[in-house]
Amino acid sequence: MTKQSTEGPTLVWPKKYNEIPKAVFEMEELWPKELETIFYGEEWHPIVHRAEIPNPGDYKAAELGEMPIFAVHGEDGEIRVFQNTCTHRGTSLITESSGNKKELECPYHRWLFNLQGDLVGCPNSRDYAPGFDRKNFGLAKLRLEEFCGLFFVTMSDKTPPLKEYLGESFYEPLSRILGGDGRLKLIGYQKVMYDCNWKAYCDNDGYHAPLLHKAFALLNWQGGKGFQKVTENGHLSFESELKIPDDITALEDGSILDFKGTETSTGSIVQMQFPVTVYSKHMDMLNIRYAFPKGPKGLEVHYAYFSHEDDDEEMLAHRIRQSSNLLGPCGLISMEDASVFSRIDIGNKTPGNAIFQKGVEDEHKLSFTVKQNDESGNLPRWEHYRKRMGFERSES
Amino acid sequence: MSKLSNDTVSAVENLNRDYICALDNMDMTGWLACFSQQGSYTFIAEENVRRGLPIAFMLDDCYERLQDRVTQVVDIQIDSTEHYQMRHFTQLTNIVEQESGTVRATFNFSIYYTQKDTNHTKILCVGRYEDIITLKGGKAEFKHRKAITDSNVLPRYVAYPV
Ligand code: FES
Ligand SMILES: [Fe+2]
Repeated sequence: MTKQSTEGPTLVWPKKYNEIPKAVFEMEELWPKELETIFYGEEWHPIVHRAEIPNPGDYKAAELGEMPIFAVHGEDGEIRVFQNTCTHRGTSLITESSGNKKELECPYHRWLFNLQGDLVGCPNSRDYAPGFDRKNFGLAKLRLEEFCGLFFVTMSDKTPPLKEYLGESFYEPLSRILGGDGRLKLIGYQKVMYDCNWKAYCDNDGYHAPLLHKAFALLNWQGGKGFQKVTENGHLSFESELKIPDDITALEDGSILDFKGTETSTGSIVQMQFPVTVYSKHMDMLNIRYAFPKGPKGLEVHYAYFSHEDDDEEMLAHRIRQSSNLLGPCGLISMEDASVFSRIDIGNKTPGNAIFQKGVEDEHKLSFTVKQNDESGNLPRWEHYRKRMGFERSES
Repeated sequence: MSKLSNDTVSAVENLNRDYICALDNMDMTGWLACFSQQGSYTFIAEENVRRGLPIAFMLDDCYERLQDRVTQVVDIQIDSTEHYQMRHFTQLTNIVEQESGTVRATFNFSIYYTQKDTNHTKILCVGRYEDIITLKGGKAEFKHRKAITDSNVLPRYVAYPV
């Protein structure tokens, strides 16, 4: 590669740490570089929880950047993630979002792969090129690590081990979102396309001031005590007590807001993992939001909801009706979030910078101390992004 | 289908017409009036139905939830929604008597939306309604209406029932 082709587009970054150039949401030419340095770079991306593919042969299709991949539960009980492409001439092997297969057969020339990814059959191989050896044509496997049943992939050998990458301040609350021990059951998905650049989603879905939510005021729902923790590589965790009034007069059926409070939190945990994944546990809803940028504009978000293996029937039923009605693209307490994504996206077509204010103590320094309702918790992520993209900070 | 009287079929068609007109006119009281006191409503993706996964986009499993759906649309989210005009197109595809006074019906639906701030018209979702309808004195009411979308990914957040 020539030097020029790796340099790519550039953007002069404001001097002040709390200012983000709005152009970063709008310049389409940033996308190929984001793919290279972030999605195919030294980051871990969650792809599947074991509960989504609990039986041998179960598979789930996904994307990493623009690359189609799939996770499959092998005959040996292991979960693996492969590129979704036949090692002969490249036909995709998985065409549905999920399902169960005994083996993976390519329809084009009938190469046959087992669930472990080995090439086990290829008709007429006597006539193949002299160097052909079946052993060298297994499916391309991605580097994989597991945490509480959740499987993450990375394209780079240099990415640090998963726990080191996430840091304890992130993986400890994540373990509680994942039921404490990862023994989850899938209860379903809500999938939606948001009309914004993926980074606008990151700024706003993870955590934002409760001001947005009229529902909170109407339900007389006061945010309890809480805190935020942020890592140098941009992962953000937020935790708070929930204080839900006993008597909710605005609703006929207040039971939808019950917090039956199993063990693992005092109300709310929301986490934003760089680059683009949100995890949450509000009340009794266990939720992973797998997010797939569709190029520079548009982000498909798959809200996956879980119950715990130890739930009794009542708890299971409660999680199902609470998750279905409170979160996601139609949810009582989250639909506003979605409306903000597209409004921010429209506003970003104007010149200048988006400026973070709340919690910024010094514009010229990055701070990792973030109070409960500060918006400055987004800034370490932006700094990490800026460095990954190689954008220089301006001198003045 | 042959055993059902024309009156029954037209009562079902009328109920469906009231329902879609209420939504196209953003008349949530009219929407609620289509359900019986035992009524319930589900809006769910085909993928979850096929896999036996219960999570829905909207799961109003009792009359109080239906009332709260109205509150959510009319009071709670009124300022934050980017409002859109819906147009429902439906087609009765199956109707059978389940027991005396109760029929099961299936309608196909396609729903367009026009966003007020852009004037673009797009497809919101396409799928089918699976209904349980009770008939009393010539009047039909939904005991259950289940809207199942073929497309598993919604094209935007959805603020109103479909
Ligand atoms: S491309 Fe798959 S067998 Fe030829
Ligand atoms: Fe929110």
